[in-house]
Amino acid sequence: MNPILSFIVVLIGIYGLCTSKNLIKSIICLNIVQTAVILLFLNFANFSGSDIPIIFKNIENPTDPLPQALMITAIVIGASITALSLMLCIKIFHYYGTLNWKELIEREG
Amino acid sequence: MSLNTIGTLLQILMIIIVLVIIMSKDNLRIIVFFSVFSLITASLYFFNSAPDVALAEVAIGSAITPLIFIISISKQKDFIVINHSEDDFFDNDLDKIGHGYKFLHDFAKHYDLKLNIYHSNLDNISGIFRSRNVDLIIDKSPATGIYTLKGKESSTLMSKLEQMALEEPFIEIFKTSEGETYD
Repeated sequence: MNPILSFIVVLIGIYGLCTSKNLIKSIICLNIVQTAVILLFLNFANFSGSDIPIIFKNIENPTDPLPQALMITAIVIGASITALSLMLCIKIFHYYGTLNWKELIEREG
Repeated sequence: MSLNTIGTLLQILMIIIVLVIIMSKDNLRIIVFFSVFSLITASLYFFNSAPDVALAEVAIGSAITPLIFIISISKQKDFIVINHSEDDFFDNDLDKIGHGYKFLHDFAKHYDLKLNIYHSNLDNISGIFRSRNVDLIIDKSPATGIYTLKGKESSTLMSKLEQMALEEPFIEIFKTSEGETYD
């Protein structure tokens, strides 16, 4: 069920990106899509019945640790991208006086 | 209840929380539900046998990211004014509220901003350096007694302020273009 879950969450996130008028809500939707993709990658690395990749005496089939390392990097990069886009949000609010997509497009012409 | 059942329940809960985030309109409620969403995904990472990613998600996704969101939402409402005039026209005392303060307060209330006025006399000069993102600077010309409000030309808020200031006889708006300094 897990890849299907990621697919559903990505679809809901893209729906939110298309329909939301609030800039902050759009950033939240981007974060949701990113989390779903991370979950998909971790699920691909996790074979059925495999163990946590920590070295014990005799571990038989460990999970692939490479996607996990990459996904930690993806989480950190996602947090920094969120901070950058929120800074741009503050600048946009002081420039136009609103955070509504429709009003912003009307002002810009 | 086996581990598989808990995983399935968490997946269903995750879809419900995402739907709640999409449906709700309030910014603070969205942020709190996003924190809950991050906690649920962290436990799902653990069920996918990745405890290191789950630790990183708990720290970053459910604590630091909502903190950044809340800080930026509280910062974006700030409207910073620096007052160089030395009389009580822009003062907010208990017994006497200045006329200019009332004007700025009406403007900030109409656009849902949070008004911050810093008075910068010579003995209180540290107020200037407190924030670099200044929206408005107030000067008083000593000859005519007219208060000049300086702000950026590009801002839409400044043109709204100019329309509101047409009715006020003692206030005039001066807009500096991009690249010039205020002083």
